Amino acid sequence: MSESVSSSRRTLFRRVAKIIGGLAVWRQLRPALAQQTASPETGPQTVRVMRPYDAETPVREFTSYVTPNHRFFVRSHFGPPAPELIAEANWRLHVGGLIEHPLELTLKDLKEFERVTITAVIQCSGNGRAFHRPKVPGVQWERGAVGNAQWTGVRLRDVLVKAGVRPNGKHVQLQGADRPVVSTVPLFTRSIPLEKAAHPDTILAYEMNGRPLPLLHGAPLRVITPGWMADSCTKWLTEITVQADEAKGYYMQTAYRVPVTAIQPNSGLPGTSMVPVEAMVVKSLIASPTNGDQVGRGPVTVQGVAWSGEASVSTVELSFDDGKTWEQARLVGEDEPYAWRQWQFLWKPAAGGAVTILCRATDAAGQVQPQESPWNPSGFLWNGWDRVTVTVEA
Amino acid sequence: MSVKREASFVKRELRAISGLLFFGGVLIVAMTTAAQEDDLASVSAALAPRAEGLIVARCSVCHSPDLVAQQRLPKDRWLATVDKMKHWGAEIADDEADLLVRYLSARYNPDAPDQLPPLDSELRKAEPLTQEPADTGPLVGVATRGAGIFEHNCQACHGAGATGGMGPKLAKNPILKHDDLFWETVLHGRGPMPAWGSVLSQQDIADVHTWLLTK
Repeated sequence: MSESVSSSRRTLFRRVAKIIGGLAVWRQLRPALAQQTASPETGPQTVRVMRPYDAETPVREFTSYVTPNHRFFVRSHFGPPAPELIAEANWRLHVGGLIEHPLELTLKDLKEFERVTITAVIQCSGNGRAFHRPKVPGVQWERGAVGNAQWTGVRLRDVLVKAGVRPNGKHVQLQGADRPVVSTVPLFTRSIPLEKAAHPDTILAYEMNGRPLPLLHGAPLRVITPGWMADSCTKWLTEITVQADEAKGYYMQTAYRVPVTAIQPNSGLPGTSMVPVEAMVVKSLIASPTNGDQVGRGPVTVQGVAWSGEASVSTVELSFDDGKTWEQARLVGEDEPYAWRQWQFLWKPAAGGAVTILCRATDAAGQVQPQESPWNPSGFLWNGWDRVTVTVEA
Repeated sequence: MSVKREASFVKRELRAISGLLFFGGVLIVAMTTAAQEDDLASVSAALAPRAEGLIVARCSVCHSPDLVAQQRLPKDRWLATVDKMKHWGAEIADDEADLLVRYLSARYNPDAPDQLPPLDSELRKAEPLTQEPADTGPLVGVATRGAGIFEHNCQACHGAGATGGMGPKLAKNPILKHDDLFWETVLHGRGPMPAWGSVLSQQDIADVHTWLLTK
């Protein structure tokens, strides 16, 4: 305990030092930054769908390690449930299926389990869908359906241990309180394999960045499967059912699946050779400057974030000549598993005019961010090189 | 002229002819493409009044129309999408589905630009789905009918029993006492609420109003 306190104090000192250092740098860079003109990517959120509310975070927000709750991307199939269903007095978490002891837990009961905090990237499986060619149906997410937040809650494993999983229990089905407007629309029912559910880092979160989980992010409880895409991170969680098989229904058996091997664009669905979207793929984003910015001839700090599913980021490279040559960025800031890694690069533009900056990351498992991701019918897992075009003053 | 020179002359000629043919081919393809684009534009303009009304009435029960407008899909995928929505309970008749697929694949096709020219706002009002009777005496709302119309068109946002949801609670809402404001809002929309003028008839709106007053 005392060790973690002193380590968190050290972190605090480091942060304060960084802020002071940052202020000094800020004073130097201010004139250059002031010349950057406003771009359309700086609003509070970019709304993709008004109802149910789907919105992405403007990439410039990603200059910060933690994405603030009110800017964090929002995605659900049906929107939040009626407030009375998730009011603390009424809300219960039911644990059933192939277990020894069915549980019905209040939020207070749940908080009796050991409290754990994990910083993790959450990313919509369809983030970057708009970049797939040929185009595919679905919310046309560009770059911001992703964020990094600190999640606090309890281990799903601890809850499962209390319930006692029977030997034939292999999958954990997750159901939230959200309901479609029309009752003939299938529920958003998902499942994860028992190994992922019982992993000590898989948690049921009731706080986000130190605040009670906001309604749009799944209040009062959501699943966090660090390293995996957000379709496993069920919001407004009310039912956990241990089963022998994967969950039945559209959102598990049909949706959120990708072909095992690459297929030709617009070719038929390969049927049985589709597997669920699970781990994230290696990816990086340029947070600053942003598209359309004007930058001066002086050194420009190019910065952003990079992350991968179940491995750490080993390098981030930038190219200013359309991918012919690459230069290595410096990894900076916090280095935590499942969180993203911040990076910086001091760029000295050689000449004025339009310049496209490309960015790609490589992870410790050797995965390299490709120029373009393999096409798939629903446009999942886009991780093509990130690109930002700016104008360098003549 | 030696055989060799003659051969090279013939070759040059052939090259010139094939060049011309190629150029002609490109011209034909370009003209055809332009004609097809014109064709798509006129199809989408002709179908827009009814189709856009249908999108508000049938699709926006579950999701706002912006989800539709951001897609750029070929006809087969539009067909599959409309089919999926019918299967999931969208109240789309067969002839409406045909019209929707024709319209959607004409306006929101893969070659359409990201920013489409706005729909003529006049179009939206042009053709109510329910035709008005010629004789327009004073409207008398029928509450029982209004309940059904509310359930299919308004409940998604305003909640069962008009108790509120994404949209405000309408039961006992002061707006019900201000006929002009109520009609203005329903006919022309307000904030995130779409205009219903091309979807609901005057009688429908009067029925909903009468039913709401009983809540």
